[in-house]
Amino acid sequence: MPGRGDIAISLVDVHKLFDRAASPAVTDLSIEIATGEIVALVGPSGCGKTTTLKMINRLVEPTSGTIEVLGRDQRAVPAHELRRDIGYVIQQIGLFPHRTVRRNIGVVPELLGWDRRRIDARCEELAELVGLDVDLLDRYPAALSGGQQQRAGVARALAADPPILLMDEPYSAVDPVVRGRLQDDLLRLQDVVRKTIVIVTHDVDEAVKLADRVAIMNVGGVLEQYSTPDELLSEPANDFVAAFLGRERGLRRLALRTVADIEPIEGPAVAPTASTREALDAMVRFGTPWVAVVDGDHLLGWVGRSEIESTRAPFGELRPQPFMSRVAPTTPLREALDVIVNARSRMAVVLESTGSGPERYLGMITIDEVAGGLES
Amino acid sequence: MIADERRGLIWWGWVGDHLDDIWQRTVEHVQLTVIALVLGCMISFTLALIAVNARWTYRPITRVASILYTIPSVALFVFLIPFTGLGMVTAQIALVSYTILILVGNTVAGLDAVPEAVKEAADGMGYTRWRRLVAVELPIAAPTIVAGVRIAAVTVIGLVTLATLVGNGGYGALINDGLKRNFPTPIVVGASLSILLALLVDAGLALVLWWVTPWRRHRAGTP
Repeated sequence: MPGRGDIAISLVDVHKLFDRAASPAVTDLSIEIATGEIVALVGPSGCGKTTTLKMINRLVEPTSGTIEVLGRDQRAVPAHELRRDIGYVIQQIGLFPHRTVRRNIGVVPELLGWDRRRIDARCEELAELVGLDVDLLDRYPAALSGGQQQRAGVARALAADPPILLMDEPYSAVDPVVRGRLQDDLLRLQDVVRKTIVIVTHDVDEAVKLADRVAIMNVGGVLEQYSTPDELLSEPANDFVAAFLGRERGLRRLALRTVADIEPIEGPAVAPTASTREALDAMVRFGTPWVAVVDGDHLLGWVGRSEIESTRAPFGELRPQPFMSRVAPTTPLREALDVIVNARSRMAVVLESTGSGPERYLGMITIDEVAGGLES
Repeated sequence: MIADERRGLIWWGWVGDHLDDIWQRTVEHVQLTVIALVLGCMISFTLALIAVNARWTYRPITRVASILYTIPSVALFVFLIPFTGLGMVTAQIALVSYTILILVGNTVAGLDAVPEAVKEAADGMGYTRWRRLVAVELPIAAPTIVAGVRIAAVTVIGLVTLATLVGNGGYGALINDGLKRNFPTPIVVGASLSILLALLVDAGLALVLWWVTPWRRHRAGTP
């Protein structure tokens, strides 16, 4: 992450009172957005989050205050020129229905006067980057699904490689499954493009998932708290923030961490060469009616006590059952917790994918380990 | 007998002898129509743009246009003669007046129907106001605007026939000639050709629209 000194967007005492409005939409807002970060503006309706976003690219002009974009007063250049350096994605997407997807994506390069061949090459590159089938480029937007249109909208915003991307509730019009996928795509994309992204959302989970920093805004455009998602969830600045974040703050913090952040335990585990005695001892030690069979760093499965007790065969000849509750080091802790509470054993095994070979066994986790993850 | 042939609905011999004359009238009719339509479009598009950008002007503009539209055409021709005399100017003022209500109405409706999101996206991408109008709003509004131009064109082609009252040519001159001499053939020729011209122009404009709006043909497929 770049240092906080490297500021891409800076709002100083920005105030917005719309014509004929009784109270201001944004009140003396000062906020700095660091280069390469994703910042989420979150709050209830009427909190001025969209107005704030639109003031950055001058779709809305502030009543007073200054906004600097990339170290320069945004009023130094004509609004339309400023906007060509700032990608813009809106909820309704707003693709031009009379242009093919290719010519939609190429809008800003065209305004900037690129030649046709360069625009074409860029469109194909972007389609790949945002996960849009290249065959769709020569269709009209009406032929695309909601998710595909959203990807095309992001590709259009990135076309001229602007350093800044503004997104106004980009995923609220698509269904939850597609939304989750698009959010994952944005994070993957951000690893590649490293833009300064400002995203407006009313969804706390989306903000926590996507943003490096979250600005919680109150009605009238009052900034209540501006901090990392983790700080926000662990130390809400006031009652408004706490109430807005809801009752599941702990669970939401778990969503920020993965299984890799916690230390798995060894658990009741023995080698396939162990004796029946050793297997039964391991069960007693951990108070479980089963034992895991581990060969080096390869998990073979589990064997139940009743099975051991009902046969005279040596332990090594018993056939282990596969574990159903499994997590990976990349699994968010919130999901891991879900796996654990749904497992009869109240445990999950941690398996790391190794690409081609069998998965590597790292240990087991219980609710205790997951809860411990919030202490770090 | 010549007299019998003259009384019939159409006497092809006369038509054959007067092809030059008929062609001349056709050229005049098309000229009057094109001039009226071009002027009407220019005035109406300007008024529509004013109305779209300054909303309060929309009602006064349409009010005046609808008064002009309501005045019977013959009355308007006669009313204008003391001011503009007999001739082209009088005819054109009347013809153009009739196109304005239709063209302004359809142009404003077409521009209004451009989705807000599309306009916001265009602004956000860095279109200037003028470029957004030309490259985004007008193409999207084209079907509604062209629908207005088709109605205006057919209306004008019909009215040009009456413009002969104020001393212009066109098919109206053929009809007038037939009426004066109690000779049906020129009347039938003039009336039929003006209907044919209206149908051709209407079909031609529909074709132009089809050609300039490829996106409406490919809702679900590739172009």
